[in-house]
Amino acid sequence: MSSALKEKPYAEEVPNNSPASVILNGRYLPPPEDKEGRLWVRTSALIQASADDLYAMWRNVEAAPGWQEQITHVTVTGERTSHWVMQAGEKTIEWDSEILADEPGRRIAWRSIGGDSDNAGEVIFEEAPGGRGIVVTVLQAFHMGKLASAWETFTGRNPKQAVIENLRHFKALAETGEIPRTQGQPHEDRGFIGKIKASTYGEKVPTPSGSN
Amino acid sequence: MKAVCWMGKSKVETLTVADPKLLNPHDAIIKITKTAICGSDLHLYDGFIPTMESGDILGHEFMGVVEEVGKEVTNLRRGDRVVIPFTIACGNCLFCKKKIWAACDNSNPNAHLMEAAYGYSGSGLFGYSHMMGGYAGGQAQYARVPFANVGPLKIESDLPDEKVLFLSDIFPTGYMAAENAQIQSGDTVAVWGCGPVGQFAIASAFMLGAARVIAIDRLPERLEMARSLGAITVDYSEEDVSVLTALKDLTGGIGPDACIDAVGLEAHSAQLQGTYDKVKVALMMETDRPSVLRQAIQAVRKGGTLSVPGVYGGLLDKVPFGAAFGKGITMKMGQTNMHNYMKPLLERIEKGQIDPSYIISHRITLEQAPEMYKVWRDKKENVTKIVIDPWANAAA
Repeated sequence: MSSALKEKPYAEEVPNNSPASVILNGRYLPPPEDKEGRLWVRTSALIQASADDLYAMWRNVEAAPGWQEQITHVTVTGERTSHWVMQAGEKTIEWDSEILADEPGRRIAWRSIGGDSDNAGEVIFEEAPGGRGIVVTVLQAFHMGKLASAWETFTGRNPKQAVIENLRHFKALAETGEIPRTQGQPHEDRGFIGKIKASTYGEKVPTPSGSN
Repeated sequence: MKAVCWMGKSKVETLTVADPKLLNPHDAIIKITKTAICGSDLHLYDGFIPTMESGDILGHEFMGVVEEVGKEVTNLRRGDRVVIPFTIACGNCLFCKKKIWAACDNSNPNAHLMEAAYGYSGSGLFGYSHMMGGYAGGQAQYARVPFANVGPLKIESDLPDEKVLFLSDIFPTGYMAAENAQIQSGDTVAVWGCGPVGQFAIASAFMLGAARVIAIDRLPERLEMARSLGAITVDYSEEDVSVLTALKDLTGGIGPDACIDAVGLEAHSAQLQGTYDKVKVALMMETDRPSVLRQAIQAVRKGGTLSVPGVYGGLLDKVPFGAAFGKGITMKMGQTNMHNYMKPLLERIEKGQIDPSYIISHRITLEQAPEMYKVWRDKKENVTKIVIDPWANAAA
């Protein structure tokens, strides 16, 4: 499974088989294993929408802040390039991204090309068996140590969980036109322990707006 | 506004908190006219459900008047009278389309917590822990209702609140329990637990064609209520009563065609196994006390059906699965798919086939709620159902 995702920053040719694939020649493919310095995450969701609409929603990178956590601004800088700004607590992270493969209604692959985040990813849109909807599978890799990832878990959202949550938000937005939220609803003061648990509950990470 | 808040195990307080606001385009704000304490709220009170946090607003049985709607809400307007289902469903995911509303994919903002604990996530629920969505509950003066195009049931007639309030949970829950029991005309059905859900399961079992219903409990007021519906009652707390023997005696030795466990994870048992479960739960070696489930599996006839509306929370010990397999029984269970039942059951109420308000024993104010949690938990004052008027004494 030689892939663009494994060869950074200057990738070889994008292979025909999508790295995010779950099945190859009738066999189940497990997700790549984490190694020190590189973390992988693969996640999928069954969505009631057309592959074309879902592709278009994902491809419209400037609307990403509406459903991707902590992404505050995305600017298109070229036909296949964009500039991303992320606000994680007090920290602002910026990077440029380049699309490596762009197949309408089927698949998008990308990687970062400089800046504060070193990541690459792919999303594929496949018809579910039996016409039950579209299976959206995301594979993403981060150049990051396990310690750094654990720190992110403690202070907010680690990048692997963020990919899972973002796909959940994407699905909710595609299916319902909004992202479910409870931040901002009334409650009595949480007390000391409740405040400590807030990050475990993901309450420190603002739920994306669900709109532009 | 005033709201009933969970402040820790066995600690509930009525406090003043901020009013709810519209947060999403499909939200509605409801001014609550009646709300109730559910038997399953006692599991929260007793600390059995994880991820409750100090300050959470309780309550998932409520109704009221629409105060304000989000910009995408098309079927409700200010002033509409509505009953709110306790499960929150988006209406558009695969599960909602299959009418398994309680399994909605999109209504739980904290799905990751539930996935970590259970390996899956169900729909969001009002006032029932962060794992189940962290939504503020309805034992309050106002509540925010998400996906308001999908859940709320409009009441267009002038039926009083008390007759329709229980469409928010316990009447549909009891009805689905009877439906899950796959009752055939002429069946004998045994119901464990004659609290509100058990009462509605008994009434619904008769509606669906049961020839005999056997009701099992220990509290005289509940057993009397069950008899008033036409059930034969068995008081398991009487010294010479064995439930299994009673059920054999009452069915010519074969056991009931269907068994309904309307008790769930905090079952009481006078027998040795009751002590066994209490010790194991206290040592955190078991999370639930499944003595009713064990008994129901043993009691049900060969090829019969076991229906479980009672709430279970985790890992169960010594469940006689060999008997379940050997008898070839069917088990059906789960959170109620509310949206399937609200309209048809409202029609039954409108036609006068049932008046669900018969189970109410106490009518209270929000300020009285903390005390009544304790009274009901301790099974005092003959409580069968507590209804709260959140505006009573509001001026005081």
